[in-house]
Amino acid sequence: MLRPGTGGVCRGGSVTSIRAATARMFERMRPDDAGSVEAEFVTAPQTIEDAAAVIAHAADVGLSVGFHGGGTHQGLGGRLRTDVAIVTTGLSGVIDYQPEDLTVVVDGGMPIAELEAVLDERGQTAVLPEQPGAATVGGTIAAGASPFRRLRYGPTRDRVLQVTLATGYGQVVTAGGRVVKNSTGYDLARLCAGSLGSIGLIGSVCLKLWPNPVETATVAVDDAAAAHEEVYRPFAVLEADGQGYVYLGGTPQEIQAQAGAIGRPALPGLRWPDPVGSPVQVSVRVPPRDLAAAIALVRSWRSPITYRAQIGVGEMTVGMDEADVDELRHARAWAESRGGALVLLDGGGDLYASLGAWGTPPPSQSIQRRIKEAFDPAGVLNPGKLPGGL
Amino acid sequence: MGAPYSRSMDLIAELQDVVGPDRLRHHPLDLHVFSRDAGVTAGPVAAVVFPETTDEVAGCIRVAARLGVPVVTRGAGTGLAGGAVPTEPSLLIVMTKMDAVESVDTVGRTAWVGPGVINLDLSRRLDHLGLHFAPDPSSQQSCTVGGNVGTNAGGPHCLADGTTTAHVLAVEIVTADGEVTVVGGEAPDPIGLDLRAVVVGSEGTIGVVTRILVRLTENPPSVRTLLVAFPDIAGAAGTVSDIIAAGVVPAALEMMDNPMVRAVENYVHAGYPVDAAAVLLAEVVGFADGVTAEAELIEGIARRRGATDVRIAADDEERELIWKGRKSAFGAVAQNAPDYYLHDTVVPRTKLVDVLTAVYEIGERHGLTLLNVFHAGDGNLHPLVSFDAEKPGMTERVVAAAKEMVEVSVDAGGTLSGEHGIGLEKRDLMGSVFSDIDLDAQARLRDAFDSSGLLNPDKVLPEGSRCFDRAPGAFAAVGP
Amino acid sequence: MTWVTDWAPDRADINRCVACGLCLPYCPTFRLTGDEAASPRGRLAAMAAVADGIAAVDDRFEEMMGFCLQCRACEAVCPSMVPFGKAMEGTRAELSAQRPSPQRVSRRWVFGRFIAMRWLVELATLFLAGLQRMGLGGLVSRASGLRPIRLQSGTLGRSWDPEGPPRGTVAILSGCVMDQWFPGVHEALIGSLRMAGFRVEAPAGQGCCGALAAHDGAAPDAARMAETNVAAFARYDWVVVDAAGCGAHMKDYGHWVDGGEDLAARVVDATELLARLVDEGALPVLEDGRGPVAMQDPCHLRHAQRIGAEPRRLVGAAGYQPVEIDPQALCCGAAGSYSLLHPETSAQLGRMKADQVRASGATVVASANPGCDMQLRRHLGDEVRVAHPVELYWEAVAP
Repeated sequence: MLRPGTGGVCRGGSVTSIRAATARMFERMRPDDAGSVEAEFVTAPQTIEDAAAVIAHAADVGLSVGFHGGGTHQGLGGRLRTDVAIVTTGLSGVIDYQPEDLTVVVDGGMPIAELEAVLDERGQTAVLPEQPGAATVGGTIAAGASPFRRLRYGPTRDRVLQVTLATGYGQVVTAGGRVVKNSTGYDLARLCAGSLGSIGLIGSVCLKLWPNPVETATVAVDDAAAAHEEVYRPFAVLEADGQGYVYLGGTPQEIQAQAGAIGRPALPGLRWPDPVGSPVQVSVRVPPRDLAAAIALVRSWRSPITYRAQIGVGEMTVGMDEADVDELRHARAWAESRGGALVLLDGGGDLYASLGAWGTPPPSQSIQRRIKEAFDPAGVLNPGKLPGGL
Repeated sequence: MGAPYSRSMDLIAELQDVVGPDRLRHHPLDLHVFSRDAGVTAGPVAAVVFPETTDEVAGCIRVAARLGVPVVTRGAGTGLAGGAVPTEPSLLIVMTKMDAVESVDTVGRTAWVGPGVINLDLSRRLDHLGLHFAPDPSSQQSCTVGGNVGTNAGGPHCLADGTTTAHVLAVEIVTADGEVTVVGGEAPDPIGLDLRAVVVGSEGTIGVVTRILVRLTENPPSVRTLLVAFPDIAGAAGTVSDIIAAGVVPAALEMMDNPMVRAVENYVHAGYPVDAAAVLLAEVVGFADGVTAEAELIEGIARRRGATDVRIAADDEERELIWKGRKSAFGAVAQNAPDYYLHDTVVPRTKLVDVLTAVYEIGERHGLTLLNVFHAGDGNLHPLVSFDAEKPGMTERVVAAAKEMVEVSVDAGGTLSGEHGIGLEKRDLMGSVFSDIDLDAQARLRDAFDSSGLLNPDKVLPEGSRCFDRAPGAFAAVGP
Repeated sequence: MTWVTDWAPDRADINRCVACGLCLPYCPTFRLTGDEAASPRGRLAAMAAVADGIAAVDDRFEEMMGFCLQCRACEAVCPSMVPFGKAMEGTRAELSAQRPSPQRVSRRWVFGRFIAMRWLVELATLFLAGLQRMGLGGLVSRASGLRPIRLQSGTLGRSWDPEGPPRGTVAILSGCVMDQWFPGVHEALIGSLRMAGFRVEAPAGQGCCGALAAHDGAAPDAARMAETNVAAFARYDWVVVDAAGCGAHMKDYGHWVDGGEDLAARVVDATELLARLVDEGALPVLEDGRGPVAMQDPCHLRHAQRIGAEPRRLVGAAGYQPVEIDPQALCCGAAGSYSLLHPETSAQLGRMKADQVRASGATVVASANPGCDMQLRRHLGDEVRVAHPVELYWEAVAP
């Protein structure tokens, strides 16, 4: 298995062979298309089957494969340099949108912003991260990233109904179904959420949609935690650098009633705080009841930080210009003692080396290893990205 | 498997070492009583144990593994797909005694519960804290949370709240090797692969669930329940579409057809409109002013779609009565004929009316009496066939009709089960919705947990699912 | 390896069960054990196995059946309307015939013979009263749940006229122990009926209703007792019964004897009738203010007769506020002779019921059945007063 950040060749395969093979067989591929992605061989397949073929060949010759969508979450698990980089720009359309059914089937490489724009025209939303930047649907799901509105609608994985997956053994697998209630077989579709490309490439996904609420509003508060107790099913409750925000949605009467319960005015629309843009970013994850303590902890750090804490969820993204490894280690130990984790979202290569991306691997490691081996027998897909070096 | 006599003697003796004589059953009468769940199949039971701790569960599994006896897990035995029915003489692990509710966190809204807690009991026990467990299958007064995890159970309120998988934060499982593992946790987004997703809906085939960290839902400050009568099904279906298009997702949206309404009204006298072609039961939750506004919105839409009567429950008592009608579907149907068969089909919501029409046609062709109740918001259709099993050939017709209904649903873009699970009942139909490659992938997932086939074998996946191995160098076979 | 008598449970009755499992949470023994074999569904499966010759009427079968309280809570919730009580009584009759034992014989003597001999019951009562006089009253009460015994002549063979011309005549079931151990209940019933303008008669030819015998499987005795009462009550429009267990059994007389159906249709529970009379205005309604009364539902009133609202209306009419203690109305554990045959389980359920009463905060609990009355007393001691709803009503309205 490769360790993050080392790139290189796994089993003595040849880049020339894959380039030649694909050039011969897939004229549609544009091997050098994909901007800033660094790899020996970069390709942007136009179909999931093509992607599976590339993976199959890479597995045969022992070349590592990484996946790139919008490049927004590459830091999770460490920035890997793989031999082959599959870029999903070629898999970027809406396949089947059924507004009446509240489902949409979309290519994994479609940028979230584009998808939400399409859905918005019909007054619907896939409830994906609100500030996606260039993030793609598939990449976001693979990264396990969720919107702020998860407090009301659940994490992103709750909306993944069906996935087509190009596995590490070069097959295209369809998992799940295009229905919102499903007890048919094993939920491989949901397993893809947060899998970081380690069991396959998400070629397309069917998402459960929600209608846009009648109206939305934002209420600024001093004490986010206290406000959280006053309202019922808010979309989100955030604390960003000391300032609290409650996000509401529903009929105007509902919003008025809820804002009234808080006792502060409601401004129309969902006004999210600016995204964290710091070079070093961590995600602190603790049980919701421990979030206040987590906030206090990071605010006590020596270096200045900026944070976005999700009240009621227990997740907090913290950004800083420079990392103090000891403080991070200490915070991680504390978070883990609460049953949570401190995850390195991004930072320099040294930081990954000294701190480690994930912390203590989960107790189910042996089962996770077996799943990884089952779906990636050659061990070529984003090797080493997952906790425990999987 | 070896000489049955000596094997079973060993089994009993060794199990007795784990759980003691009082929580072990092996008398033929007990084994007979445990050979069925609420479905139509029965199977052979070698022994029954009632463990009280995770250690006991692990101990029993180790015994079974050593002796090569398959293990089947059972809650209250309300499953309809044969998930708790063995296909060969098996050890039945009954989880009803593991019914603790512990570590209730009212801030985080979570609780650790034993798999044997009855679904409705859990909500009742938490009511005074203003919390409940959202998945509410119709069998909730009897079924256990462990069973809900096994089948990814749903219920009317899953429209807005999601099915069981959205309400499980962690599970403690004992795998086939007798090892105890916790997957997930109280903190959001546990690192690593999300194994909770695999456990929920795995129907006892990859581990025995011994503790569950459930996500609890706040009781709504206010509720409004409506009962709306329509002169035609299209009107009811159209209303559902319009409600959602208006940006409102009600807490529940249930529909019943005329035969069902008549049967229900005859049984519980809840004031259901017996002349309606279809009845819509809608429920909205929120703050008082908000629910009133939403209820009015729904009423407006319904009337524009031709509703002949809109009844909004004035108080809790009336709300109970309206729901009583919906929840008495079984009882109502049982008045018609001694037996009934409850189907579970799920289709894209917009195909509901088409599939319903096809279902009626299937019923007519097979000479069956059909009554329908469905979760209108999420396309989950439950045709209920009312029949007398004593009549010759009747059961065969019911089974044949069931198969056709599944086919129609799959053709309409649906899948095999919305909430009951695959079990034994639909195992051999998996090929109609999944290719060999798809089934192979699911088998890989299952085998990563249990490749011995010890746990609930012969369920969910058809035999030979784990078949596909891509031979190296067969690159040419995989092409555009 | 199957049934041997005419009393055997009907295969058609058993077949009604579709194994839906909705009865399970309402069954006290399933609630306590989580064991399918201790559930109505499991018991029906066992009965079916015997009927089909798959299972033997052996120790285990007897144990499984005997553990059932016969509370019939399952019947009240069964969507398929399986007549579980009838099927279980039939099974008990079969067990009685197929598995004689000294214990069974002595029980037959008690429930089938002694109980119908009034002089014997009176003798026993005298003895108990003597114990109470000698200062062992507390011991007697705590052990048995019996009220302090008041020696007096019973109701049998007597009649009472109302003030002014009667609007009708009704009969009351004197019962086997009500006169001796719960005379206050009869007094209250008779007083209330007279106040409503009825002439009340306790015809001399009546006897024990036969419930205990029926539940224990002494079917021929139960049939004989039913026959006696069918004759004794032949000419009455209404037969008022103030013991829920007896009323429920008499409403099932159609299963036991010719002409039973006819009498069954004329049997009415005391609370059932009095509540109706209150509604009609024939009996007074008092103003609220006497405080809360915890309402215990005897199984044979609530589940077997489906009577739940009337006792509450009656208690409310007496000026009390009825308080709910258990929406499920789980059995208190008395269950006729069950408390003698399964003392541990009976006590477990009794403690649970007592806890429910205590949790309500009320100082009075109303119970319309003598067996339940005694069980509550056993487990509540002196903390809470136990009274029949009719007693509470009469105390409040009596001039």
